Amino acid sequence: MAIKILKNISGENKAALIIFILMGLLPIFISGYIIFILPQYMLFGLLAVSLCILWGYSGIISFGQAAFFAIGAYTMGIVFKGGGEINPAYVGIVCGALLSGIVALIVGYFLFSVKVRSSYFVLATLALSIVVEQLAKSQKDITGGWNGLFVDRITLTIGPFIEYSLFDDIPMYYFVFFITLLSFISIKWLMASKFGKILIGIRENEDRISALGYNTSFYKTIIFAVSGLLAGLAGAIYGSHAGFVDPSLARVLFSTEVIVWVAIGGRNSLIGSLAGGILVASLSNYLNSVTPEYWQLIIGMIFFIVIIIFRDGLAGGVEKTYNKFF
Amino acid sequence: MEIVVSVLIDTALITLTLALAAFGLAIIYGLIGVINMGHGAMLTLGAYFTWAGMGIGIPFVFSVILGGLIVGFIGIILEHLIIRHYYDNPFDTLLLTWAFFLVTTELIKIFFGPDFRTVTNPFPGFIDIGFYKIPTYRTAISILTAIFIIFTGFVFFKTTTGIKIRAMIQNQEVASLLGLNISLTYKMVFGFGCFMAGVAGGLVAPMVSVSPYMGDMYLVRSFFVVIVGGIGQILSGTLAGSFVIGGLETIVALFSDQVIAQVAVFLFAIIILRLRPQGIFSEK
Repeated sequence: MAIKILKNISGENKAALIIFILMGLLPIFISGYIIFILPQYMLFGLLAVSLCILWGYSGIISFGQAAFFAIGAYTMGIVFKGGGEINPAYVGIVCGALLSGIVALIVGYFLFSVKVRSSYFVLATLALSIVVEQLAKSQKDITGGWNGLFVDRITLTIGPFIEYSLFDDIPMYYFVFFITLLSFISIKWLMASKFGKILIGIRENEDRISALGYNTSFYKTIIFAVSGLLAGLAGAIYGSHAGFVDPSLARVLFSTEVIVWVAIGGRNSLIGSLAGGILVASLSNYLNSVTPEYWQLIIGMIFFIVIIIFRDGLAGGVEKTYNKFF
Repeated sequence: MEIVVSVLIDTALITLTLALAAFGLAIIYGLIGVINMGHGAMLTLGAYFTWAGMGIGIPFVFSVILGGLIVGFIGIILEHLIIRHYYDNPFDTLLLTWAFFLVTTELIKIFFGPDFRTVTNPFPGFIDIGFYKIPTYRTAISILTAIFIIFTGFVFFKTTTGIKIRAMIQNQEVASLLGLNISLTYKMVFGFGCFMAGVAGGLVAPMVSVSPYMGDMYLVRSFFVVIVGGIGQILSGTLAGSFVIGGLETIVALFSDQVIAQVAVFLFAIIILRLRPQGIFSEK
């Protein structure tokens, strides 16, 4: 029975299934630093997915994903600082995601509705990243300036009586794990729907899709907003997990890292991007401790090679190997 | 009146300095359509080579030229090995030059260290016009920029090389049928753009702290200069774009702080991008 079900699902879903089962079981076998840090990489993985749906699926490159991530993280920090009647964690997550989504919607509408060239769009997102970073640095009263903001760990509440703190690593791990899983499934569903197919059509031939009667600007705006929403969600939870947000979250270099993750993971594959985010961020962290001088150079070199030679990234490589042997 | 004159002088200096920084980018983008994301790193390289040249006793002017030549040479190598295979795919050239930027920035950090460096100002002091003191060095490089632009304009419109380049932009196929060596022309244009970026880096070095990330800010501003001025309008467009971006920044900074001015300029450029994607003064 189980084998029969396994046969019916596609290779990419199989890979996703394996990765999620592995991540779900991991805390049983190991503990300590890895369990502490892995949720952060899962959130980076979600950030990578937020770029994948733009770059891989819709043919739009954004150099501003860090800006949306930072908007989410800062919203979380500001909500926590403000306090209030309702659980600040819920307010922070919802507002962080919505605010990023709305900013993306406005920027997307503003630029796509007049069919701005895609290379100009890249520059506009680059500028967005810098604007957010500069604002975070300069508006000291709200954002704490260079010093950033401290954020508490999330406490889950159901009704007025049930409280569950995610202060320990394992509860936090599973919370982030389920958020990642749910977001991934939703995005996967969205991309498999008619909406996702139209986006792929836009990537392949925008003129033809628009000749078929679809308003391509509308679809591009919506996917950009969804991407912003997802990046903001990941950022809000990241703020609470890291306990700290600072302007470096919005810097262009961080946006670049997201592009590197997706390029290495495989721009056409959602699970490839997620895995790319998790793996490359772990690798960066590892290299950073081994060779602090050279790790960014190594990542840069890998980026070069991936763009020139392995255009489908890790996901493409795995798929080819898999098809060869099975 | 005196304030107006001093603001005008300031604006002129800022316009020309920005035009200098953006010129290399405008040439490459306008003539061969490559978005050179490595432009900022090339500026930084030029600044570091100038610093290193002066460190071993070469005079400032020759250090700048030498720095520009090395950067131009690096650009030609990059073009020959990688970029020329991707001319028909603008997105790939964008990513590849960005990868160049990443690798170069890291190499700069490894070779020169992450610390700030200073290049001694060759012309310290001011030109005193009574009510306002104009920094001598900035005046010098502004004049130099004007000369660069006029010289390029001369080459572009009055020489055979210029005619060939213009023919190539107008119709690549026919130009190559007429015996124009397209790939060589592309290579020379790319190399010249990189050379100008290196020279610009060397020339702005005495006015800023030289650090591995100094080019980043110039990269984005240069792009906006090119977009606001209009792509393909290499000479007048670069000047007009620099005037709008630099002038606006100066004026907004008068009323608020530097950061707000920068943010305002970026938002303005995004609005221009939408309302007049062909550039603020271009017709069509």
